[in-house]
Amino acid sequence: MTISVFRFAPKTWGSADDLEMVAPIALPSMASPTVILSATVVVFLLLFVSVGPLLWQQSPSQQWLSQISDGPSPAYSVRVISDNGAWRPSALSDMPAGLKVHAANTEYVRLHWPVLEGVTRYRIYRGDAHKPGLGLAIADTSDNYFQDRLQLSRELYRYTIADADTGLLLLAREIRPEAAISAFEAQLQGLIPVTNNTSQWVELPAHPLGTDALGRDMLARLMAGGRTSLFVGVVAPLLYISFGCIFGAIAGLMGGWVDQLAMRFVDFVVALPFLLFMILFRVAFGIGPGENGIMPLILAMLMLSWPGSARLIRGQVLALRSQPFVEASRIAGVGTSRMILRHMLPNVLPMILVAFSFAIPQAIFTEAFLSFIGMGVSPPTTSWGALCNDGIKTLLSHPRQLLLPALFISLSVLAFNILGDALRDATDRRSGVVRA
Amino acid sequence: MSLLDVNALTVSIGPVQAVRDVSLTLEPGECRALVGESGCGKSVTAMSLLGLMPSNAKISAEHWLFAGRDMSQLNERDWRQVRGNQIAMIFQNPMTALDPTQTIGAQIAEPLRIHKGLSRRDAKMRAIALLERLAIANPAQRAEQYPFEFSGGMLQRAMIAMAVVCEPQLLIADEPTTALDVTVQAEVLCLLQEMRESSGTAMLFITHDLGVVAEIADSVSVMYAGQTVESGSLHGVFKTEAHPYTQALKRAVPSLENPRQLEAIKGSPPDLRRPPAGCGFAARCSQRMAICEEQPPQMACGDNHLARCWLWHKDHPLRWRQADALISGTPVWRNKE
Amino acid sequence: MVNFIARRLLSGLITIWFIATATFFAMHAVPGDPLTQEKAMSPAVRAQLEARYGLDKPLIEQYQLFMSNMLRGDFGISFTQENRSVNDIIREHFPISATLGIAAVLIALVGGISAGSAAAYCKNRWPDRVVMIAVIAAISVPGFVIAGLAQLVIVALNNAAETTLLPVAGWGSVSQIWVPALVLGLGTMAYLSRIMRASMLEVLSADFNIAAKAKGVNGWRLFFHHQLRNAVLPVVTELGPTIAAITTGGFVVELIFAIPGLGRYFVQAVQQLDYTVIMGTTVFYGAFLVLVVVLVDISYGLIDPRIRLHRGRS
Repeated sequence: MTISVFRFAPKTWGSADDLEMVAPIALPSMASPTVILSATVVVFLLLFVSVGPLLWQQSPSQQWLSQISDGPSPAYSVRVISDNGAWRPSALSDMPAGLKVHAANTEYVRLHWPVLEGVTRYRIYRGDAHKPGLGLAIADTSDNYFQDRLQLSRELYRYTIADADTGLLLLAREIRPEAAISAFEAQLQGLIPVTNNTSQWVELPAHPLGTDALGRDMLARLMAGGRTSLFVGVVAPLLYISFGCIFGAIAGLMGGWVDQLAMRFVDFVVALPFLLFMILFRVAFGIGPGENGIMPLILAMLMLSWPGSARLIRGQVLALRSQPFVEASRIAGVGTSRMILRHMLPNVLPMILVAFSFAIPQAIFTEAFLSFIGMGVSPPTTSWGALCNDGIKTLLSHPRQLLLPALFISLSVLAFNILGDALRDATDRRSGVVRA
Repeated sequence: MSLLDVNALTVSIGPVQAVRDVSLTLEPGECRALVGESGCGKSVTAMSLLGLMPSNAKISAEHWLFAGRDMSQLNERDWRQVRGNQIAMIFQNPMTALDPTQTIGAQIAEPLRIHKGLSRRDAKMRAIALLERLAIANPAQRAEQYPFEFSGGMLQRAMIAMAVVCEPQLLIADEPTTALDVTVQAEVLCLLQEMRESSGTAMLFITHDLGVVAEIADSVSVMYAGQTVESGSLHGVFKTEAHPYTQALKRAVPSLENPRQLEAIKGSPPDLRRPPAGCGFAARCSQRMAICEEQPPQMACGDNHLARCWLWHKDHPLRWRQADALISGTPVWRNKE
Repeated sequence: MVNFIARRLLSGLITIWFIATATFFAMHAVPGDPLTQEKAMSPAVRAQLEARYGLDKPLIEQYQLFMSNMLRGDFGISFTQENRSVNDIIREHFPISATLGIAAVLIALVGGISAGSAAAYCKNRWPDRVVMIAVIAAISVPGFVIAGLAQLVIVALNNAAETTLLPVAGWGSVSQIWVPALVLGLGTMAYLSRIMRASMLEVLSADFNIAAKAKGVNGWRLFFHHQLRNAVLPVVTELGPTIAAITTGGFVVELIFAIPGLGRYFVQAVQQLDYTVIMGTTVFYGAFLVLVVVLVDISYGLIDPRIRLHRGRS
């Protein structure tokens, strides 16, 4: 890989006018496998959030109540059933001989068993049939029937009926609920025209990465969230580094008391506890109804993160001002604006680029952190951090809901960090930029 | 018996054959100068003599005796006893070779604490006494100071103190004056000479400064491209230089007598990753013969004055004339020019 | 030296004033005030409450009042927790945050220095690779994810052992300190070990290191007396920002592990716009950090004689 953008060596005043193209310099470390891999990851992430939603057109906010916290699944057919809530076996139905299953689908499992002598209260356990043990006690009842409506999925369950008073196990049966959707839900999702249209089969959409705790498609949410995260990650640094650069350049170029005062101010801003003030400012800028909260977030970052680049640029400008080639060009009568454009800018630009590439992962992190504690974007807008916030609530039962957005955050942070490292090494090696 | 007797020392670090064939002998109390341009393997030789090469370096020698001990058999534990105790080293740049976070006194006292088992207080007393001998004013106070509070010359004196504090039998000085001002150089050289004479320490003095060699050395070894190419007494090597490289080296030094006659040696040293088959200097030599590029020459010439050059091979037709010339002090080819 | 400390303390005081002022105005810029969060309230009651908290006065007067109270060390009474003074809240919950923070800093320091040194010693061999991969992972994974993963691991361990080996959350026992502290310190540990590795590599190839070896110094003596002391300097410089990051970053860990530290109260107070608690905790944290930075500066001088003596003279 050759990069000609980074050709910014200090120039002597004699050659101030022939700053034009110099042969591009090969940067071996820029082409190392890790760097190429990171660049690929970045491109992939950008495509993921930009082209992704076009290819995967599920809405990130549509809730599939029949598919809450589903694992990754292809599209599958479900039966539409009427769901009237409460249930009891009709008087006509006979007393069952053993544990009888009246219905078993993912909306409800209906159990019916004979009245047993001497038992006043039954306790119903539900557990994974592949694991030993009874599983959870889901209900106590004095009736001889029970309807389970508790987050059922298409797995093999073992139901056990026990005597609640003595703990004696009475009956057990393994049941795999059939995929189903309530007519009400099916109509809501536009799968059937009217609610009394039961017993037909409808197709539920695929969820390649499963759904979240509210039945929303994870893949679509990751795309939508990534858009916010990457937007904040790129725009916030762009703004605060630009501001910092202008501030630092003015301080460095003016010098004297202006510089002193400006730098004292920078010192104070640096001393502010970063996260506390991020939260404070974020709240201070407020979110009106219907706003997504991205602007307050970026503003808060802008107000707190600029001093780093201001210091960097001021240091560079001061160092460059005393460099022989700048002094020489001043003696040669080069004007200030020309000096800034010709000498200062080419020398500080690589450093700004490096600072920028390191600021991106940091901004992604900050956004994720704030969204995670609920101080970031406001729903329905989401971000990877906000997805993590949702995910941590179901961590123990569905770790995937935390790990997926976390993986995306980590991947992007890692890739940007590696690119930043490579960029820094490249500029360090090839430019004679003075370290302040 | 010689104090140090190294024959055919070779050191390779990865692909680089930094030292290819170095032979050195030092008598007790002798000062031998090791001369050569940068990158010829002087420092590598010095570090190898202290057993301080990185673990990826391969060191071998035909024989390597120090004070009657076979040094090639030493393990790391034995080396610790030798370093700083029997063989000590003075480094080129005293500004970087002293630990910036330790007081001068503590650093001088450290070898005593390690090798002689002295208490902190006794070691400190000895260090202060030594600083006083090295003409440092207020030694007790100075011992409490840190390297950054010392000037370059004083630092090098502290460095010397650190090296001689255990009264080693051999002192290796790796360009001890190169980093110093000229005025300070003379001072340091005097001190070194004094310390050597008073304690009878042998010294291997590494330098590329021929003027310094003339001042301090008893005998000289010249190194080129990882090999000793010439060795003999100071007088022998300097008055009647036998190897073409030594001659060229001497012509490259400015002198007051012949200010015009200054010649750079043309070309550059060979790449030690692929050293040449024949003589290392052949490519730059003005008296190159066909054989020079084909076969490596061996050390030859007289008993006390050796040169690694085909010109001095016993079958070379001019050899006897040259040997005569050596004795009379007027090399033949000098007359030819 | 005294002169230096005095100057640092003075600029620290100005910084605290700046923090207090910035907090005050940032907070009053927030739309609404703590009283609007309450349920519907008659104008009379509202006026009474405003008078009680001084909200009816002009902003400048409120600022003066706040400042003079702060100088007396009084941060007022919480808006949302009736009759509980901010000082009480800080006194009760800060020690918990501080314990967690100190444990995390210690873990980060010891872990970072040893891992970094080990990596430098084994440069390009497998210990180095392992450390660097772990460092990259720890730097790229957000703290809250690490916290969540730690809880998952604990649950898995407890399930496997079929007893409670480690508590998943809560506060009080020693075993409830070190897991959150490790999680909190992990990112910093990774950062420090990267710095440590770089500076140790520099020291290992430094002249004085070879010179020390040439004196016969070896093993632990060489490590502690010469290498560590020099290599640790850049780590010490990072100590101030590190402590800042750990103390303020603590509240995520506090939230996830259900630790009743001050950070949790701060987040809660911001959400409820509890003016006095926000002001109190921010100024308190700010003062704490300023103090830490001054202390780190001084300790830096103790390790590096160049700085100590330089400052002593100026």
